[in-house]
Amino acid sequence: MDGAAARLGLHPGKALADARAMVPDIAVIRANEPADLKLLEAVADWCERYTPLVALDLPYGLFLDITGIAHLFGGERAMLDTIRRAVAAQGFAVRLALAGTPHAARALAHHADGTIVTPGGEAQAVAALPTEALATDAQVVHALKRAGLKTIGQVAERTRHELAARFGKGFIGVLDGTLGKSKPPLTPRTPLPDLMAERRFAEPIVSADDIAATLLSLGENLAQVLESRGQGVRVLEASFFRADGQMRRIAVETGEATREPKRMVRLFRERLDALADPLDPGFGFDLIRLAAIFAQTLVAEAISFDTNEAARDIKILTDNLSARFGPSRVMRFQPQDTHIPEAGAVAVPAQHADPDRFAWAPLRLADEAPRRPLRLFAKPEPIDVLAEVPDGPPLRFRWRRLQHTITQAEGPERIAMEWWRHAEPQPTRDYYRVEDERGHRFWLYRDGLYERETAASRWYVHGLFA
Amino acid sequence: MSAYAEIAVTTNFSFLRGASHPGEFVGQAAELGLSAIGIADRNTLAGVVRAWSSLEEIKPQTEKPLPKLLIGARLVFADGTPDILAYPTDRDAYGRLCRLLSIGKLRAKKGDCTLFIGDLLEWRTGLLLAIIPPPRGGGGWAGLENEYGKRIQRLAEALGKKDVWLAAALPHRGPDRRRLSALARIARGAGIALLAINDVLYHEPGRRELQDVVTCIREHVTLDEAGKLLEPNAERHLKSPEEMARLFRDAPDAIAQTQIFADRIGFTLGDIQYNYPDEPVPPGKTPDEHLADLAWQGALRRYPGGVPDRVVEAIRKELALIARMRIAQYFLTVHDIVRIAEGKEILCQGRGSAANSTVCYVLGITAVDPATFDLLFERFISQERQEPPDIDVDFEHERREEVIQAIYERYGHHRAALAATVITYRARSAIRETGKVFGLTEDVTSALVSGLWGSGGSDSWGEKKHARMKQGGFAPGNPIVERAVYFANQLHGFPRHLSQHVGGFVLTQDRLDEVMPIGPAAMEERYFVEWDKDDLDAMKIMKVDVLALGMLTCIRKAFALIRQYDPADYTLANVQNEDAAVYDMLCLGDAIGVFQVESRAQINMLPRLRPRKFYDLVVEVAIVRPGPIQGDMVHPYLKRRKNPKLVEYPAPAPEHGPADELKEVLGKTMGVPLFQEQAMKLAMVAAKFTPEEANGLRRAMATFRNLGTIDKFRDKLIGGMTRRGYTQDFAERCFKQIEGFGSYGFPESHAASFSLLVYVSAWLKRYHPAAFAAALLNAQPMGFYAPGEIVRDAREHWVEVRPPDVNSSEWDNTLEIAAGEPPVLRLGFRQISGFKEEWWTDRIAKGRGNGFSSFESFARRARLSKRALIILAEADCFRSLDLDRRESLWMVRRLPDDDALPLFAAQFVEDIPAETTAPLPLMPLAEHTVADYQTMRLSLRAHLMQFLRERYSGEGAMSCAEIRNARDGATAVCAGVVLTRQMPGTAGVVFITLSDETGVCNTVVWPSVFEAYRKEVMGGRLLFIKGKIQRSAEDVVHLIAESFTDRTQDLDTLSEEDVRLPPGSQIEDLAYPKPDPRAPLHRHPRNVRVLPKSRDFH
Repeated sequence: MDGAAARLGLHPGKALADARAMVPDIAVIRANEPADLKLLEAVADWCERYTPLVALDLPYGLFLDITGIAHLFGGERAMLDTIRRAVAAQGFAVRLALAGTPHAARALAHHADGTIVTPGGEAQAVAALPTEALATDAQVVHALKRAGLKTIGQVAERTRHELAARFGKGFIGVLDGTLGKSKPPLTPRTPLPDLMAERRFAEPIVSADDIAATLLSLGENLAQVLESRGQGVRVLEASFFRADGQMRRIAVETGEATREPKRMVRLFRERLDALADPLDPGFGFDLIRLAAIFAQTLVAEAISFDTNEAARDIKILTDNLSARFGPSRVMRFQPQDTHIPEAGAVAVPAQHADPDRFAWAPLRLADEAPRRPLRLFAKPEPIDVLAEVPDGPPLRFRWRRLQHTITQAEGPERIAMEWWRHAEPQPTRDYYRVEDERGHRFWLYRDGLYERETAASRWYVHGLFA
Repeated sequence: MSAYAEIAVTTNFSFLRGASHPGEFVGQAAELGLSAIGIADRNTLAGVVRAWSSLEEIKPQTEKPLPKLLIGARLVFADGTPDILAYPTDRDAYGRLCRLLSIGKLRAKKGDCTLFIGDLLEWRTGLLLAIIPPPRGGGGWAGLENEYGKRIQRLAEALGKKDVWLAAALPHRGPDRRRLSALARIARGAGIALLAINDVLYHEPGRRELQDVVTCIREHVTLDEAGKLLEPNAERHLKSPEEMARLFRDAPDAIAQTQIFADRIGFTLGDIQYNYPDEPVPPGKTPDEHLADLAWQGALRRYPGGVPDRVVEAIRKELALIARMRIAQYFLTVHDIVRIAEGKEILCQGRGSAANSTVCYVLGITAVDPATFDLLFERFISQERQEPPDIDVDFEHERREEVIQAIYERYGHHRAALAATVITYRARSAIRETGKVFGLTEDVTSALVSGLWGSGGSDSWGEKKHARMKQGGFAPGNPIVERAVYFANQLHGFPRHLSQHVGGFVLTQDRLDEVMPIGPAAMEERYFVEWDKDDLDAMKIMKVDVLALGMLTCIRKAFALIRQYDPADYTLANVQNEDAAVYDMLCLGDAIGVFQVESRAQINMLPRLRPRKFYDLVVEVAIVRPGPIQGDMVHPYLKRRKNPKLVEYPAPAPEHGPADELKEVLGKTMGVPLFQEQAMKLAMVAAKFTPEEANGLRRAMATFRNLGTIDKFRDKLIGGMTRRGYTQDFAERCFKQIEGFGSYGFPESHAASFSLLVYVSAWLKRYHPAAFAAALLNAQPMGFYAPGEIVRDAREHWVEVRPPDVNSSEWDNTLEIAAGEPPVLRLGFRQISGFKEEWWTDRIAKGRGNGFSSFESFARRARLSKRALIILAEADCFRSLDLDRRESLWMVRRLPDDDALPLFAAQFVEDIPAETTAPLPLMPLAEHTVADYQTMRLSLRAHLMQFLRERYSGEGAMSCAEIRNARDGATAVCAGVVLTRQMPGTAGVVFITLSDETGVCNTVVWPSVFEAYRKEVMGGRLLFIKGKIQRSAEDVVHLIAESFTDRTQDLDTLSEEDVRLPPGSQIEDLAYPKPDPRAPLHRHPRNVRVLPKSRDFH
């Protein structure tokens, strides 16, 4: 829901089908609560510049405890304005209020934006607010309103035991909190997991060896934390803070999760050596920080040292090569699930390849010759062929001005193109495995079914067998 | 050239595998000159009747030799056995195949079939079997051949080798020829012959794309993800004998074997001789004799004063025809079912063409005397049609289940099962599925689908496609969307799954599972066959429709309520006939709740048609239907009713026939064809259709299956009529009407059966409005109107309605009778949302005794949970205990929160500590009213619009009553709550009914206005509609909408602020005012924040 949707008369709680009946071309985005929470956490992080004590008021609110610090920002009103401007500048709609208790502040923020309550004035400030402003569930609000208690002031006039008997002690806590009579403590947010190691230097360091040694020791620190969590790292970032205030970030990636400090350092070395714009220490770095940007569970067997050794070496090699030349320069073939021969494999960055995703289908049987050529031409080459119509095997063909007489042939293997990828119908191919009188084997195809698709089929050679 | 028979055909009844209809295969096989074609779907015979019917249809049209149709199934096993094609050689073997499939289906859940090889061994006698080689495993050729060979040899031996073949296809996968010779060796080794197949999935290569699409739907993948799940090429289509011979040039015997296979089969579907059950026939009597006995006994009951001669003659004639057609058992079976219902005092009544039969009338199956109507028995059964008659019987909707159980009891599950309904892809489901396949997001497909809103019956994507795509926000020509829509169109009409028919029973004398396979339905202990209504018709298999009708429930309940105060014991048969006051009421359009004529269109028609006798009701029921409307027959008929001088009969040119040839056909309806059978008769008389042709026309109309053939009839009908001198215009209108009947036509007999219920319900409404309203409410859900409307209507008819109360209400709505006073309607607990019936039966009813004297006594004796008490308090049910809604709620909330142990609550109340509290603010009337709507969807106190009236009058908005009295052509603004929204047909017109304290206002929204105000029209609950008043000659007033304002948010203010009624208002008492017919109260949405939906029909 955004402002535009609200202007169209839509509101939360409306069935999607009804909304669609009203506005047929409405764009619907599924609510992503984890993402919302993440965003709220980010705003909370950001708000720590005002006060160390920031608490979440899920789903969309924050409590800032500004006890004793408002004067730093020029007083309460000025502080409120500062926060409002700063948060609004990030594209949020903001509602703010300041009161002696979180409950009161929350109620006022939602229903009387901008209110600042003088100490002890909470009960008076919230009296006219609707019952909904109480931080309690909808059923209680409904019950209160049914009883004719439509404002917090009206609720406050009832005796405590009367309310407690109906809505429980918890409700009394909320009510008293809102009225400023009690002040429950804020629950500070749990600190973010610390996947970061840093070292400050009294004397800025300059030499590459010192940098490497620092990275290694930071890597060891990180490895300890990672090991205790059973995690490995996939993306690492080193931040180099220069004494003059400049900062440079360098990231490296691995193809599998790792927590070997040496391997990490090696990757940074490759990366630093290959930088087009080398790391300039200037007057030296006074802070180096190593952070695990993306960590994932590292299964124990991946670091075992048995048969996977060769595969592991390849992975280390690809990591090193990728760090040096860039991930998109180190490619690997990945099989694709398709009938179309030339689309059977694509090259992807080796670090991201997942060769097990589509294993090569066992096309051929153990005791027969390969069904697919060892070398597949990027571009099939046209040939002149003598063959029987409509779908007989080729008897002779001329390729690159050389005549081949076919002694053996098997086929056709008929492959139709993936019609949904093409605007126009594509010709079907009849593939033949053939062997000429010299024992060379070719993979030929007839392009277009004779008479069904074309009057004169064309022929191509698409690959060579060993 | 050698003949070829394709026996491995997978149609689209192998859901999401085959990509062609059975009929398309048959047509293509004929085209290609195949000697035979075998339909073998996966563990089902669901598609075979369609293939058979298609072949029967082609037969008369061609001189060419046609392929022989072989009926079989592809047996797919759950135990790893390779697929086997099974074809019965004779009727007995066919019965065994049906048994085999039924066993597999009963083992599985609905729609599945779990077979093991042991089942086949048990039932294989007389079946020809072709083993389909399994997909190959790993290893080398030699090993493969060896392993394969052994498996197939073992299987062939288990099956006895006789009548077993090894099927071989050439799929163009490269080593086809090597594979073929390996299979030949395997077959030789196993001692069986090789049989050529092409294992086809579609009838022509162009369907490969659709086959890919259905594969993706089946596998829940997009085309991009499907990869090798798809076939690599387009070879799995029917191929000509020449091509098959060429492909199998290495194994010519495999081709020859197909002919041997086909020649061995002596079974056709025509061999199925179906036996009617003959349970009710006493020993020593023939069914015909027994039927005659029952008919004459029944006649004496129907005509206690002596059976009229023409009835005697009709019965004789009918009995003779029934005997000739040997269908006496059918009548006896239906009679038996009706008797079962009567024994249980369940109201029932035959509908449809059975009402043409005097025998059905005297047997008590139908309720309309055909003699008084000139209904013709030939319309029900005719010898030339050679079809089983079709008797549909309606039962009370709440008690139909008892009838169904009784049928199972009498006939047993092996002889009685429901017919199937083939659920096909409709435009919406098709676009949703194909959209997914092309990777469109659900948003996009939903937007495409939403363009289909209100498209009614003809929901294919036709010429409106581009408009709809634009409506959905797509540029026409977006290739992906275009493709998705293209394939959705192809998929449209494909069978999707089989479901049970609502109430069509197939009953047999012998085992039903030897006539067709039977499988379990979703409902426990419910079974259905694989063939649908049309298939059964084609196979001449009898079906009895046991249908449910809400109005019968309502009428029985009303009769029961009336017995409380009226000694006359009313039944459907003894209600006063032709009562003028009943017709007076209907002429005013006062018909809310009355069967069939309560829709808005019908209520508008009543004052125009002015029914004065029973036959007028028959016309009324039939005329507001798509047939007469599309045929533009309504206005001519109404004009002639007003001025009988206008009655004339279209006539042919003198040389072609007598000028009054249509008088006989159209005499009863003043020269205008209104009923389905009149249109048929017209085709025969005016366009000289033969009876067979007329019958073909009827069938073409009745089923969507023959959509294409209707054009053929169109030319013939219009051509035939104009050639004989009828005007082009009249001929075209006749045809349009026939088209309209296609989907929703009423034959005269059916309209007559329904009209009886129209009359009886109208009579109840006129003379027993309280009982009628109570019965309507107790029979909900049914009909057009929500409870609030029914209550409002009852109060407008001077019925006093009292609110639910713990001391007076029961679960059902009841009547409170006091001597000398009209009955009072007391609302029951069933009107309260969320109230559970057992709270009444198990708690309140048991504890009430002589009544509850206080809240404490109620809590103690009824022992309801806190939740139940809150619901009762919310609904203001404690007034007789001197507690209003607010007080009782505040009190109940105090009880401990223990839903599971209501006893605690009761005890707590007993020793409830005294509590002295300040009084709560008084609940204002507006808030009470809102709360009424929230708990019961109606209020007896006031209409919410009353609270807004003063404010709205200030803004210049008129009430519904003011609109009714406004000048024709004036521009006015009407404010009201949306009662119903209707978008009938495809025209795009929306009808909105607004309601306020003064009544209702009918508005019409033309498509251009609708598009401009779509969000208000679709989303508003409280609307200001500005438009022009249109007053018809019959004084029916409509507001033609020009613009809208959505004022829904005004409703929120009602419970928030203390809104007072305007001064001078009728209602001052906060409790329940007496009804004031001048200020009728309207149903209103139940919750002011999230208002419930209006009743939207489209």
